Amino acid sequence: MSAISLHAIRPCLEGAIPAVMSTCSPDGTPNVAYISQVVYVDAGHVALSYQFFNKTRQNILSNPWASVLVLDPVTARFYRLHLHYQHTETAGPVFESMRAQLAGIASHTGMAGVFELRGADIYAVEHIDEVPGEGLDAPAPRPGLLHALRLCGERLARCTALDSLLQTTLGALQEHLGIRHAMVLMLDPSAQRLYTVASCGYRTSGVGSEIQLGHGVIGVAAREQTPVRISHMTHAALYSHAIRTSLTEAHHAGAALPGMDIPYPGLAQPHSQIAVPIISAGHLLGVLFAESPLDLQFNFEDEDMLVAIAGQLGAAIDLLQATTDSPEVASPAPAAPVVSGAPLRIRHFAANDSVFINDDYLIKGVAGAIFWKLLRDNASQGRVDFSNRELRLDPMIRLPDVADNLEARLLLLQRRLQEHCPHVRIEKTGRGRFRLCLERPIVLEDMPA
Amino acid sequence: MTHPALLDPDRIAMVAKGVSAIVASRNAGLRPSVMRAVGSHIRADGGRVTVFLRRSQSVQLLRDIESTGQIAVVFSEPSTHRTLQLKAPQAQVRPAVPDDLPQLQAYLRSMQNEVGQVGYGPAYVAAMLAAPLADLVAVEFTPTAAFDQTPGPRAGQPVKPLQP
Repeated sequence: MSAISLHAIRPCLEGAIPAVMSTCSPDGTPNVAYISQVVYVDAGHVALSYQFFNKTRQNILSNPWASVLVLDPVTARFYRLHLHYQHTETAGPVFESMRAQLAGIASHTGMAGVFELRGADIYAVEHIDEVPGEGLDAPAPRPGLLHALRLCGERLARCTALDSLLQTTLGALQEHLGIRHAMVLMLDPSAQRLYTVASCGYRTSGVGSEIQLGHGVIGVAAREQTPVRISHMTHAALYSHAIRTSLTEAHHAGAALPGMDIPYPGLAQPHSQIAVPIISAGHLLGVLFAESPLDLQFNFEDEDMLVAIAGQLGAAIDLLQATTDSPEVASPAPAAPVVSGAPLRIRHFAANDSVFINDDYLIKGVAGAIFWKLLRDNASQGRVDFSNRELRLDPMIRLPDVADNLEARLLLLQRRLQEHCPHVRIEKTGRGRFRLCLERPIVLEDMPA
Repeated sequence: MTHPALLDPDRIAMVAKGVSAIVASRNAGLRPSVMRAVGSHIRADGGRVTVFLRRSQSVQLLRDIESTGQIAVVFSEPSTHRTLQLKAPQAQVRPAVPDDLPQLQAYLRSMQNEVGQVGYGPAYVAAMLAAPLADLVAVEFTPTAAFDQTPGPRAGQPVKPLQP
């Protein structure tokens, strides 16, 4: 009998060293084979990868008992899992996260193309043997993980606006967890895309770049609402980010709109990646993503940490969205900026609400519609002060009823302007209020669909 | 001599140099058992194979081999994933003796080299394969079936016996 828990041997279930599995055919012939993945599902279950219909598979379908030997990649201690086959999953979170991991393992071992997941075989863990042996000393546990989580939590809890919340999150990941390359993407539910609203550690911010739901590590994590973690560089097309969705959309819009593709900011040669869904009150809000140029940078403890942080981030995003409309008086208008210089030509394409400034693409979609409303109201009524509330009520902007992410879209607009048109700014003037600041004359051109 | 040779010289050479060896059996109720070998040896003609196990690590496995004779052993070269499985219905267990030690030491050196190529140092391999003589047994068998198990869709194909 053994008291060891599956949780305690999680380092062995990281795929660093292949596991071996023995089964037995009905005629009594034993079989032993390597398996690519033994994945922790919950305290009583593991998932094994099913890639080929082979002897192991044949055996398990007629005699569901299996014995699996795993090895700790640090202590060289063996553990034996006595398993009973339950069922096979060919879709869903466990399957998708295993499929992503397998693509990483396969490309690392030069076996991309050979390894394709056909199913996630779920097994009940009957018991675990702690195999005696010499072994090596276990490393000291990573110190202060819980404290790091506390520090991150405290910093997040002090944020009062989405902008600072996202920047604080990325800063906290860097300072407390040593994660240098990260981004936050928000879901646009109607377009089924994720757009980058904040990033750190990249050459360009990539704010506004989009990833389709189900594409890449990030898109799969969002679609399946499960963390996806890859420890080795993957070349698998499914998980790469050479995705150019904006171009095809421009084509559908029937207009020649060059340069609408905001480049995705990620590392050109990532070796470790982790994407964690941001969920609040059961709704997917977006994805928290981190990566590294080194192999094996994120283990299950990093995953645990990021899931905890994403949980708090999600709740905070939701709360800030819900409380942004409090009627608060705008701060007194500062001296109006001096409007001078050559006029900016701002074009709006109604087909997809894309906005171009002097032929340079700025933004599209809901954020584009918002920007166009601000500019029109400014031109026709001279208005500069606006509230989130009126944007929510404006039928022209077509915000979805639930989870409108208005704050995130305003932030996206604000960032895009900062990066591409510093003569036009959006400044917060209070909770749920902001001001349009123009330093150049503007000429508006509406291009009907 | 009446048996056609099961293994070609390439496969014999792969096993002979000392690669990862995992041993499996099963009990009367068809429950499988498994453990990693801490050493292996193959006769030059491929007709007899020995794997070394630690008794303390292989209680169920040794009980199963002793009671059913059934054995399956998978040999794999870590750097290339080249993999071969041998099976036999009549394996025999005997105590390990001091004369076995040179084979075990050669195996350890080979494994330190093999596993070193995929990133694990010699101390790690030594811990993984630690084998005090008092805890050792040798399991000998004449393979009656062999399968190519290099990962891929063709894995599991029987190795065709060489014609004499």
